[in-house]
Amino acid sequence: MAFKHVQSLSERLSPFQKFYLIVIAGFILGPFIPLLIQSFAFRWAWPDLLPSTWWLEQRDKSMLPLAWDYVFSPYSRVWEATVNTVFIGSVVTVICLAICLPAARVLARERFRGKSAFEFFLSLPLIVPEAAIGIALLMIFIRLGLAGSYVGIIIAHLIPTIPYMVRMLTAVYQGLGRDFEEQAMILGANRRQILWRVTLPMLLPGVVAGALFTFLVSTNIFLLTFFLGQGQIVTLPTLLFSKISGGTLDASAAGITLIVTLPGIILLILSERFIKEEAFGKGFGN
Amino acid sequence: MTKVQLSGVRKVFGTFTAIENIDLTIESGELVALLGPSGCGKTTTLRMVAGLEAPTSGEIMFDDKDVSHLPVQDRNVGMVFQRYALFPHMTVEKNVAFGLSVRKVPKAEIEERLAEILDVVQLSGFRHRFPAQLSGGQMQRVAIARTLITKPSVLMMDEPLANLDTKLRGEMRRFIRNLQQRFGITTIFVTHDQVEAMELADRVAVIFDGHLAQYDTPDTLYRRPRTTDVADFMGASNLFAARLAAPDRAETAFGTLKVSPRADLRTGEEIDVVLREEAIDMLERPDAATHQALSGEIVARDFFGANVNYTVACGEARLSVSEQSRRLVDVGSTVWLDIAPDRIWLMPRRTIQTEI
Ligand SMILES: Nc1ncnc2c1ncn2[C@@H]1O[C@H](COP(=O)(O)OP(=O)(O)OP(=O)(O)O)[C@@H](O)[C@H]1O
Ligand SMILES: [Mg+2]
Repeated sequence: MAFKHVQSLSERLSPFQKFYLIVIAGFILGPFIPLLIQSFAFRWAWPDLLPSTWWLEQRDKSMLPLAWDYVFSPYSRVWEATVNTVFIGSVVTVICLAICLPAARVLARERFRGKSAFEFFLSLPLIVPEAAIGIALLMIFIRLGLAGSYVGIIIAHLIPTIPYMVRMLTAVYQGLGRDFEEQAMILGANRRQILWRVTLPMLLPGVVAGALFTFLVSTNIFLLTFFLGQGQIVTLPTLLFSKISGGTLDASAAGITLIVTLPGIILLILSERFIKEEAFGKGFGN
Repeated sequence: MTKVQLSGVRKVFGTFTAIENIDLTIESGELVALLGPSGCGKTTTLRMVAGLEAPTSGEIMFDDKDVSHLPVQDRNVGMVFQRYALFPHMTVEKNVAFGLSVRKVPKAEIEERLAEILDVVQLSGFRHRFPAQLSGGQMQRVAIARTLITKPSVLMMDEPLANLDTKLRGEMRRFIRNLQQRFGITTIFVTHDQVEAMELADRVAVIFDGHLAQYDTPDTLYRRPRTTDVADFMGASNLFAARLAAPDRAETAFGTLKVSPRADLRTGEEIDVVLREEAIDMLERPDAATHQALSGEIVARDFFGANVNYTVACGEARLSVSEQSRRLVDVGSTVWLDIAPDRIWLMPRRTIQTEI
């Protein structure tokens, strides 16, 4: 029923609505087009609209490795950076969930003294400049011997991601209400059964959205990773920064930029599917 | 089956006293309604019986055993929530079987009991639907089936009919009544609709502000309310202050009423009288044989199809009279009112207590 409704809506898009959607898509996708062209260009000088020489044409003749050849070669450290980024992002997401689920539950359901103060402090990391947090952490971590380690970077990444995750999950918990868990209790379920059979499945769309968001934020953090990685741990954002810090966006930097967006895009597509089919497809709501 | 007893139960939330002090005994197999205005503590009482809330003081007993500190899972109670709380991610079948599957009942037995209970609630054809694909009445029956399948010793329902339309409510009331008699389960249900309470329950507990105001059969509650508040809540429209001038005479603002003498009331006492609107006879001319000598003028008429309601002005007072609409008397007519003395209910005037 709901599905049909959506379809009939899209059939009724007016020309203006279509135009509007295209403009928005242009805004979002636009910046990628020059990157894409750049990464395949050999020579692309102003004021040409398109490169005068393409990468493939020059491939055999060139002495130097060209954009994509460079990106895929071990010298570029792209593979290493990708593995690091995905690894750090995944660990941060799991830890962040483990910390935020119980916290959100308490924030959504209990009233206690100092709750609003606590909520305020929770958003501080979003207000204080990242550079300040990074420097402060670095000084502490050097002393603890955590600078330049995965543990150090993961802890640093938790700082800006936890506030978002807590907020998101609190909202989901508030929407859930106690009734379902209490009903399960009355029906004889123990705590573990309630968590696995009732709470988590019902929170799933929110958990997936929060996890996705955390992962994307973590994979995009530059400054904290840069400070705390001490050059020993390369992630995609730090690698990209070292490429473009000269002030130009050459073909290989453009290639790396495109690689940087890949994990996010793949994840978005996967989770979109997942959320739709697993949860909303079965008619959540009421 | 199980006898449920609350003795001296009190519940305080922070600084707010939700339940003052309640003593209530529900006999095994009885269907009791908790009736009262919004916020009086009905849900809180139910939640304490279920074990979702611990009483601040007092005891809750099942068959004379104190269960006040027994965890919810071990009380073997069933509760249907006001908004049903069906698990939205499970089919009807999974919802109903939940209580058995968490108890690790063997598959074959679950299947057998599932088929049986779905048959009782007439939902066999809806097994594979999700709650979002059901109507209100169907959702309610799923909620009831999910509770009954665990064979609870006490069944509780929190305003089970509040979300249904009038016609469906009638059907569901009969359905619940039949089910309760068939299984003989001790049942407590909450409502703030007095008609529903009277139709369904063996006994009704009227709760005001965390007190048990009266606990009686529907008939007694309707005809012999203990206080004006109860009378008012049970829908009494003619409620007047009076003074007992003689054992069989009450003086009111609109004249003297002949009443049946009552041993517990003293002559000269300030009292309240209730005249049930359907017990009043309305005559178009005076009659020497009547009990009372009351007359007045019809100032309003409300027609409800089978019934018609007249508002009669007797001096300053307005009396409401209800009769079957076999005749219609015009507004402005002078009429004579009569009521049998034993149909007039007298209550001692309650000194107004200030409550927290
Ligand atoms: N957890 C709680 N904390 C504080 N006060 C509460 C809590 N639960 C209930 N109360 C208060 O206790 C009183 C009784 O609540 P309860 O839910 O039992 O009312 P009710 O009779 O079921 O009302 P309704 O008909 O509106 O459902 C209300 O004033 C309510 O605000
Ligand atoms: Mg309630």
